Amino acid sequence: MEAPHKCACCLTRRQCLKLLSATALSSGALGKALAAPEPAARLGAAEAVSATALRPKPTVNLEAAVLQQPTPYWLGWPGTTYDLKGHQKEYLDKLKDSSKKLAITLNLAEKPIEDEAGMTALLQRVKDRKPDALMVIIQHMNCWGWAERLAQEAGVPLLVFSPIGTSFTGHVAGISRRTGVYVASTLEWPAVEDGMRMVLAKRRFEDSRILWIQGGARNETVLDRLGTKVRAVPRDTFNQEFDRTPVSREVKDVAADLRRNAKKIVEPTLEDTENCARAYVTAKRLLAQEKSNALSMDCLGMVGAKLVPTPPCGAWTLLQDQGITAGCEADLFGATSLMLTSYLLDRPGYMNDPVAETAKNLLIASHCTSGTRLDGFDKPRHPHILRNHSESALGVSMQVLWPKDQPVTLVRFSSPNELILDTGKVVSNVDTPPAGGCRTSVEIRMDQVEDARDVLGFHQVVCLGDHQRVVEGFCQLYGIRAIHSPEHSPEPEVAA
Amino acid sequence: MTQLARLRPLGLLGVALFLTTGQANAADVAFGLPGFPETRMDAAGSLIEDWGTLKVSLDGATGPSSAGPERISLDGRVPAARARQAAPGVNATYTAFRGPAFPGGFDILTVRLEETAGKPATVGVSVQLPDGAQSGSRTATMGSRVVLSLPASGTVSRQRRDWGYDDEATSLPGWASPQGACDPAFTSIRAGLGGVPIRYRLPITPGGAAQVVLGLCESHWGSSGQRLMRCRVEGAPVQNIDPIARWGRHKPGALLFGASDVNQDGILDVAVLPDPASPDRNPILNALWVFPSDAALDLSQVIAGRLNSQATRFVDVGGPGDQSMYPGGTLQYKVSLPAKGVQELTFYAACPGGEVPLPTQTTWTPESLLRAASEVWRDWK
Repeated sequence: MEAPHKCACCLTRRQCLKLLSATALSSGALGKALAAPEPAARLGAAEAVSATALRPKPTVNLEAAVLQQPTPYWLGWPGTTYDLKGHQKEYLDKLKDSSKKLAITLNLAEKPIEDEAGMTALLQRVKDRKPDALMVIIQHMNCWGWAERLAQEAGVPLLVFSPIGTSFTGHVAGISRRTGVYVASTLEWPAVEDGMRMVLAKRRFEDSRILWIQGGARNETVLDRLGTKVRAVPRDTFNQEFDRTPVSREVKDVAADLRRNAKKIVEPTLEDTENCARAYVTAKRLLAQEKSNALSMDCLGMVGAKLVPTPPCGAWTLLQDQGITAGCEADLFGATSLMLTSYLLDRPGYMNDPVAETAKNLLIASHCTSGTRLDGFDKPRHPHILRNHSESALGVSMQVLWPKDQPVTLVRFSSPNELILDTGKVVSNVDTPPAGGCRTSVEIRMDQVEDARDVLGFHQVVCLGDHQRVVEGFCQLYGIRAIHSPEHSPEPEVAA
Repeated sequence: MTQLARLRPLGLLGVALFLTTGQANAADVAFGLPGFPETRMDAAGSLIEDWGTLKVSLDGATGPSSAGPERISLDGRVPAARARQAAPGVNATYTAFRGPAFPGGFDILTVRLEETAGKPATVGVSVQLPDGAQSGSRTATMGSRVVLSLPASGTVSRQRRDWGYDDEATSLPGWASPQGACDPAFTSIRAGLGGVPIRYRLPITPGGAAQVVLGLCESHWGSSGQRLMRCRVEGAPVQNIDPIARWGRHKPGALLFGASDVNQDGILDVAVLPDPASPDRNPILNALWVFPSDAALDLSQVIAGRLNSQATRFVDVGGPGDQSMYPGGTLQYKVSLPAKGVQELTFYAACPGGEVPLPTQTTWTPESLLRAASEVWRDWK
């Protein structure tokens, strides 16, 4: 029988209603995901914190303008036959649609800019309003000088859409590689929208607070460049809150969903799944209490000290499937890397221990907290098996079966200034046993890395899909140095 | 993209500085960040840190115009300290708060200078560094700890020596283990940690020519392809170098450059930078020689230190004979103020246990730090 809930750490009714209201108002990918709501949303109970409401919802202001030459056009690309008005309407409609979809506030110049006076006015407007980014749509090849000027003088990230027929390679070769600029020279609107997603992702970073559960200190700082707040709280905060979390109706529903959604259950008992659900509820409550949007916890230390009956792995999977970053081992930049796939690519990744498979020259990415909605938060779960945490034989962790032959992207912030970025393809899933190590173990054949032993980094975050160009675009827009694992192995060591 | 500390017109912090003065004889004012040790400001506006006292003062001031620092809040919630000084025709206001930069924050001291007599003035500002502090281009260090970020050069006048390093690299004595006959200078380096360039400025007859030799010894990497560097000497072609590929591990090597003072400013500019493709972004340099342009040089003899006496300049880079372009002790700034005008100098100071970031490796600005601090304090409980 469920005990009356009397803990002192719950949200107030007003806070709870606010969170639940936010859930109801959420849009886009997460809104679709709510078509099959997680138990917290279904319950509507006063003590339930909606995970999706914990995801940052920043204001994003985008200034936009069309750059063209005085009409009518005569010679010079895009050419006299180009339907200038028609294409402008098409692109501006798409821009408005994308802005609405991404909850971006669009401030569109009333008419196309076609002279220096218009340019000066645009620059002044940007300086006055200080938007999060400026987007220009190039509608004549002779407008690139203006784009260059905006890149130098606007003082905000610049997105440039150049529909095919408005540039040569020479126009874009330089500016498209400049820090603070993203150029989409294409007819593919999704590539343009990617630039808007980059701006949204940066604002999500800025609006986020990571709850860093480790050690004994309580303090708060902010990450350079990303602008993400880091609130450190003592490690005991989690296990003390966990102890106060009863097996409520929400807990039981989450546990039931865990068992129902699994392709197979190997070790976990009913109590294990309920403890997993308690860890999930505990994490949500702590996040809400601390006004935080993501977390990273010294989970192994807690398990080693036997402070909790279960590692949080399964709970972390549940959070990550709803866009809430939950990182392992208090690895702060592992968590920011997870946030990147969540905020930029709208899908979960998992941070992993890299293992070299030398017989097949593959990288094995191994950990216990993979998300299951690998194609996106609004997409179906991939098959997964309920296992225990292999190192401790406790609790619940998922073996998520990653789809074979699908591309993957690996990202890892080594600092706010640098990101390791690689790609590969899933070869197979490794079972434990016969292997040891973590429950989700995915064999990956790396692209452009001759020897899997040379893959850079530790706790790289793997996510489904080849997102190299989008991630590179994000890095360039915000001055983050993107580096890649070496294609060729280093020379053998020279004896001294 | 962002200037760490800079001279700038009346800005965000300036608004806060218009607050009225506090009571006389107040005690030092402490300020900080949730969960971290505090810093104190004394009556003169100096910051008392764990590495020493950062004393910035207005030339000609007779003392604090108010008896003590004042406890104020910036943006309505950020704890801060403020003190004032006055000199004939000029008021100085010192405002400090803790910026919440991960991992431990650092202190921001803004010196607001206001011309009050109604005529243009040049104001002297002195920055007294504690004993043992080394001053670089934009930073001051205590050992290898970066404790202070200085306003950008070019906006103020600073005393300069006739030669020295002019960078934010780090001296690492005894880093290398050179093997074979070589000058002891090869045991030490300066390292451009995080990819910052190593730069030296050396005197030369304006428009003149010389031979420059750079000495290198790689003692970290055992394989080639790891630390790739670009060596630039004014007037000479750039030389790219992979020390392991060229000489091997622990093997001293030397590069010769035919240098000339192309811009005729009487200074030879020397720089070692990371190659953009280098996996290890930290350039190093062990030794530097300048020889007359007509000297007959055998590089093995240069490496062995047998031609040091013929050099017009020999630098044991990162060693005891090395020096910054900028003397320590007191730094003198000259700031031009228009009639009734205002300018600000902003310093970043390491708070207890911390460091300040290198200017080239951060996007923090005084404005973004105050905004971040405001968000932290807004949600803190």
